[in-house]
Amino acid sequence: MSRPPPPPPTTNKDQQHQNPSLQEINIKLIQSGEKERLKELLRERLLECGWIDEMKALCRAFTRKKGRNNVTVDDLVHVISPKGRASVPNSVKAELLQRIRAFLASTAD
Amino acid sequence: MSSKINGHVSPQPCPHLLDFRSRNGPKPFRALHDCIRVKPPGGCAAIRREPSEVPRCGTCEESSRSRLYACVACAAVFCHAPLLHSHASDHALSIPGHEIAVDVDRAELFCCACGDQVYDRDFDAAVVLAQTVNATATTSTSGSTAMQCSVAGSQPENLRKRRRVDYRPWEPDSGEHISRGNQSIPLLDATNASLVSSTQQPWGLRGLNNLGNTCFMNSILQALLHTPPLRNYFLGDRHNRYYCQQKNGAINGTKNSRLCLACDMDAIFSAVFSGDRTPYSPAKFLYSWWQHAANLASYEQQDAHEFFISMLEGIHEKVEKDKRKSQSPGGGDCCIAHRVFSGILRSDVMCMVCGFTSTTYDPCVDISLDLEPNQGGSGKSSSAKSLNSCNVEADCMHPNQNGGISTLNGCLERFTRAEKLGSDQKFFCQKCQVRQESLKQMSIRKLPLVSCFHVKRFEHSSIRKMSRKVDRFLQFPFSLDMAPYLSSSILRSRFGNRIFPFDGDEQDASNDLSTEFELFAVVTHSGRLDAGHYVTYLRLSNQWYKCDDAWITQVNESIVRAAQGYMMFYVQKVLYYKESENQGTS
Repeated sequence: MSRPPPPPPTTNKDQQHQNPSLQEINIKLIQSGEKERLKELLRERLLECGWIDEMKALCRAFTRKKGRNNVTVDDLVHVISPKGRASVPNSVKAELLQRIRAFLASTAD
Repeated sequence: MSSKINGHVSPQPCPHLLDFRSRNGPKPFRALHDCIRVKPPGGCAAIRREPSEVPRCGTCEESSRSRLYACVACAAVFCHAPLLHSHASDHALSIPGHEIAVDVDRAELFCCACGDQVYDRDFDAAVVLAQTVNATATTSTSGSTAMQCSVAGSQPENLRKRRRVDYRPWEPDSGEHISRGNQSIPLLDATNASLVSSTQQPWGLRGLNNLGNTCFMNSILQALLHTPPLRNYFLGDRHNRYYCQQKNGAINGTKNSRLCLACDMDAIFSAVFSGDRTPYSPAKFLYSWWQHAANLASYEQQDAHEFFISMLEGIHEKVEKDKRKSQSPGGGDCCIAHRVFSGILRSDVMCMVCGFTSTTYDPCVDISLDLEPNQGGSGKSSSAKSLNSCNVEADCMHPNQNGGISTLNGCLERFTRAEKLGSDQKFFCQKCQVRQESLKQMSIRKLPLVSCFHVKRFEHSSIRKMSRKVDRFLQFPFSLDMAPYLSSSILRSRFGNRIFPFDGDEQDASNDLSTEFELFAVVTHSGRLDAGHYVTYLRLSNQWYKCDDAWITQVNESIVRAAQGYMMFYVQKVLYYKESENQGTS
């Protein structure tokens, strides 16, 4: 079974246009103000689906267990991040991804 | 690690913050104030040296990590992701005095050595001020309401309903069915013809004769007769008119019955709930009320709302002056009228220059709401101030956000919106020691058992020497959640998680009585200002009844929804019993 030859390595110039780095995307989003709009949209969606309430409840439970004075912000972030990331509904992820794609397409050079 | 200062709970500063303050003075974050940027659309505060700055970590050039902190001492920006690496912590540990940083996207102070948030009153005040100024400067074209920078307040209703267990009415099981039928007679029995009419109307429905333009009185009386806590009080013989008259007659030594509006109310309750369906004439009550409110004693049509206020005052005044009870209406302990209707309003006036806020609490027995002024209307309305009810100046020119229909919730939202006081109403700021432009915001500190909403439909313009009626339709819900208008909600959405002086006990409103209310009476006005008619709609056993003076008829709820509401009465849901519709059937 022979495989087709691997595609030729793209030049630096092509790379920049076809696969913008995360950094570049981020800067574009910030400078156009789209990042703030996306953040706001995300906040709204996560509120609607109860995700924010769930995270609040997790934080409360953790704080109650450890004691109010023994908990730091870093602790809380550490505790809820894995569960938080995992429980974002797929529909929300899809919507935001779609928005970002659309934005990038509309601002492509 | 928290302490109370003047009743305000605030966390103790960490040793690094204390150290920082000792080295840089008591207000070490002043330099940051200029970097506070409020970003649309959410109105969140961020820290940027230049408005278009894109912060990057000084060590790894990352700008897409979620937590970037700027060191307050040297302004260098670092990322902080404790699980992977924290260049912010590295920086903090490497240079003493550089532990305190600020989250560039959230404008929150952080100690990188302790890994926890720290608070500075001055800094938080500056952030809130910036957000406030931004929110009032921009007209809200997006759907978000002013003063909300965090998600806390935007859609509480959906989530609350999701989280609570739904209300389920009680149904008797088979055993209870049997014991109910055993040795008990249904109240509304067809065989007991003398007690009930064949249409099986609920108890307490009885027409009131019009004694000469007294529909204003009849309409309010009908509403009060079916105000659950008030009805229970009088039917439960808590104010026995015979005993009261006897006792006070003995004290006064007069043979004539002493004036007591509560006694007259007791008489009306007895008459209306007697089971007799023929229309009743509340003549004695009218006469007593004339004696109480001499300036309104005439056969002219009066304002129903004025009558309502005057009546509550009358009950309050004539109550036995028990030295044990407090006389302040705010506590609600003085008399049944205030126990039922009195709530507490909170008014915050914030100086727009320095952020100093002055807070006052006032009791109120109802809330008077403005309808939006018509486009190109007659300018400001200044309705007569009546005692103990709270009025709002019609200051806003915001177009209606609901596509043309005014709603009760819209009015309440406007009532609790932060309003900029006009330049002719500058408020004396205690900190600045001069009159400054201020921002005023109302909120509800304590909800009453029964919320009465009065729609300001009658405008009296002293300038134009005329009065007019506003016929604009107002949509009102049958179930109302007052949570978004509580002080705790309003403050939370104003301040987010800033440490800012407000009473510690505002924070846990969820532990209080429920904020859910049910509509049970609507007083409507139809016709002109000088020639109009009041009618009350009552909701009993989830049926609506129209009380038009002596005529009581059952109506469909759609009629009520379409009616022109003038006063709406809501009772706390826990006090509202949805009786089953088929009383007396087994």
